[in-house]
Amino acid sequence: MSYYLATKKELIDWIQRLAAENQLYFPEKHGEASYRFNRVGPKSEIQFDRYIPTVVPPVKLLVPAREELLRFRTDAEGKTEVQPSLDTSFRVIAGVRSCDLKGISLMDLFFKDGVPDAYYLARRENTAIIGYSCNTPCDESAFCAAVDSLDHTEGADVYVTPVKEGDLLVEVKTSLGEKLTAGVDWKKCEDPEARRIGAVTARPEPFGRSFPAPLPDTMKIVADKYQSAVWEKHVKRCFSCGTCNLVCPTCYCFDVVDDLNLDAASGNRSRSWDGCMLPHFAEVSGGHNFRAEPAARQRHRVNRKFTYLPEKYEHGAVCVGCGRCGRQCTSHIDIFDIVTDLIQEGSR
Amino acid sequence: MMNTSTEHYHQLARDAFMPQPGRIVEIADMTAKDRYFRVELEKPLGHRPGQFVMVSVMGVGEAPISISNGPGDDNTLEMVIRRIGRLTQVIHDLKVGDTMGIRGPYGSWFDLENFYGRDVLFVAGGLGLVPLRSLIVPVLAEADRFGKITLISGCRNPAEELYCDQLNEWTEAGLEVIRLVDCTENMPWQFGVGLVTAPIPKLKLDPGKTVAALCGPPVMYKFVIAALGARDVSYNNIYVDLERRMKCGVGKCGHCQINKIYCCQDGPVFRFSDLALLPEAL
Ligand SMILES: Cc1cc2nc3c(=O)[nH]c(=O)nc-3n(C[C@H](O)[C@H](O)[C@H](O)COP(=O)(O)OP(=O)(O)OC[C@H]3O[C@@H](n4cnc5c(N)ncnc54)[C@H](O)[C@@H]3O)c2cc1C
Ligand code: SF4
Ligand code: SF4
Repeated sequence: MSYYLATKKELIDWIQRLAAENQLYFPEKHGEASYRFNRVGPKSEIQFDRYIPTVVPPVKLLVPAREELLRFRTDAEGKTEVQPSLDTSFRVIAGVRSCDLKGISLMDLFFKDGVPDAYYLARRENTAIIGYSCNTPCDESAFCAAVDSLDHTEGADVYVTPVKEGDLLVEVKTSLGEKLTAGVDWKKCEDPEARRIGAVTARPEPFGRSFPAPLPDTMKIVADKYQSAVWEKHVKRCFSCGTCNLVCPTCYCFDVVDDLNLDAASGNRSRSWDGCMLPHFAEVSGGHNFRAEPAARQRHRVNRKFTYLPEKYEHGAVCVGCGRCGRQCTSHIDIFDIVTDLIQEGSR
Repeated sequence: MMNTSTEHYHQLARDAFMPQPGRIVEIADMTAKDRYFRVELEKPLGHRPGQFVMVSVMGVGEAPISISNGPGDDNTLEMVIRRIGRLTQVIHDLKVGDTMGIRGPYGSWFDLENFYGRDVLFVAGGLGLVPLRSLIVPVLAEADRFGKITLISGCRNPAEELYCDQLNEWTEAGLEVIRLVDCTENMPWQFGVGLVTAPIPKLKLDPGKTVAALCGPPVMYKFVIAALGARDVSYNNIYVDLERRMKCGVGKCGHCQINKIYCCQDGPVFRFSDLALLPEAL
């Protein structure tokens, strides 16, 4: 573990140097107010300041919208050869906020569990992550502090905290991080913990939105409110479009599809994002749909974040409070409001 | 900059998603839309009763299909596949000698230890007889290790009955088989008419000694379980084999989730008492 104090310019030069040699992704402004993790080129602007969470979270660079699982080819004798397709190219994702870092750590947990997922794990092992701490809430949608993800640093190889005007505390946390920072001539930091605490205590309080109950109570309330009028309230405005699933850093459900090439002898099998809010997600062959009602699907989505996956993985909330689902929903359906209503139901 | 050994991940990917070839050695029509397939694999499947495989035709897709033969150490896999959509249509077009991709076996199973020494009641609705056969076969093979063995098998109409010849053989072998249709639809039929729940109230049944195994369409379970409950059969002694949509079979794709559990890993075979706290189960 090494600690440095770098200036903003030093950090940006370093990122640009890394980008010249590697596939490096950084949040880039798109239109008025949205950001995307884009590949950094020589002309890209590196702005470490205030960007709100990107439309699509960085973890989706590790679980792309569509990814090939295998390729096959059938020869003249009818024998089929099948080969797994793996992406093991090296990449760097920089400017990852704590909420998104936690999303990546959770995906690590999900994909390692049980039958390990080679595709995710191969990408993950070949990905370096440069995290960036938040000193102010990014906008009115976020609620990272309410779900304990504000100070999540696990999973980052290098973690950057703005400590005071102009100065950045750079924590090198892994051997991969050491490789990335090899040769930098930044000032060594002798008192990292004091500086970090200084930055954290200067934050506004409360930091963003908070639930009207502590997190463990909140989770218990969601679990206990399986029958509740709240499940009908917000979903009245829902189109079942699945956007909330697609933008969530901890949604990873997928569909599997085959493609046959024009030679009719070769092709591939790939998986693509799917979403539990989509109407046919839980339908089976006789036509029975286990979650036919939008309210049942919304309850499933919220419970997956606050009850089901936390219980399965013995973890806290699996919603990281990034606020994306609320920000992107055409109908402004916000998981924060749903959970808040569940807490307040019957107690007003 | 860094590129760790990829062989480890290739192996993981092969273990999880690569099918092995299965050569079709026998095909038989069971009904207008259900076709029986016997497949020879390169190595034994090593399955237990109630488990399933993922069957694929490269370039078309992959689907979960129940294993219908009893456990054994040869390379055989028997299935009955209903033509219902894109993939199952293509499978129906395959001929003897063609290959399909098979991976698995997956999921939980019926553990014979829970059945030895007891009266066994099988309740099958429609295609549910296909997976239950993988349990009926080993039970009948050791019939003297069980008490009374009964099968209630129901389907929509006489033309939809599966494994008809087998049902006759089993009857001759001493299994009490109650064959039912919802409606004869004016077809010849020498057995009963009614739902699979209908015989349960009058069944000669020792509730303390009975263990039941159920498989059928989603609507069936609630009613059969209620009928068995009314006869004092304990929920600890009722096993259900559930169907859900499944895309991966390895606990990742999310489609088969029943509240907090994944049907493909924790199921498809459950002791009913273990499902009591899962409102989405039935
Ligand atoms: C554990 C298990 C065991 C099964 N055993 C058998 C069996 O022994 N014999 C048999 O004929 N069928 C069985 N099925 C059902 C079989 O998997 C579906 O009929 C098959 O996936 C349909 O594929 P398709 O491409 O032909 O249909 P599609 O064209 O994809 O769709 C037709 C219908 O099937 C449903 N469906 C699509 N994909 C799936 C899926 N992955 N899982 C469930 N339903 C789906 C759709 O909602 C639609 O209603 C089993 C399913 C499960 C989960
Ligand atoms: S984004 Fe909004 S409208 Fe779309 S499924 Fe989610 S809650 Fe419903
Ligand atoms: S549920 Fe919404 S707020 Fe929570 S992690 Fe997913 S997108 Fe972010």
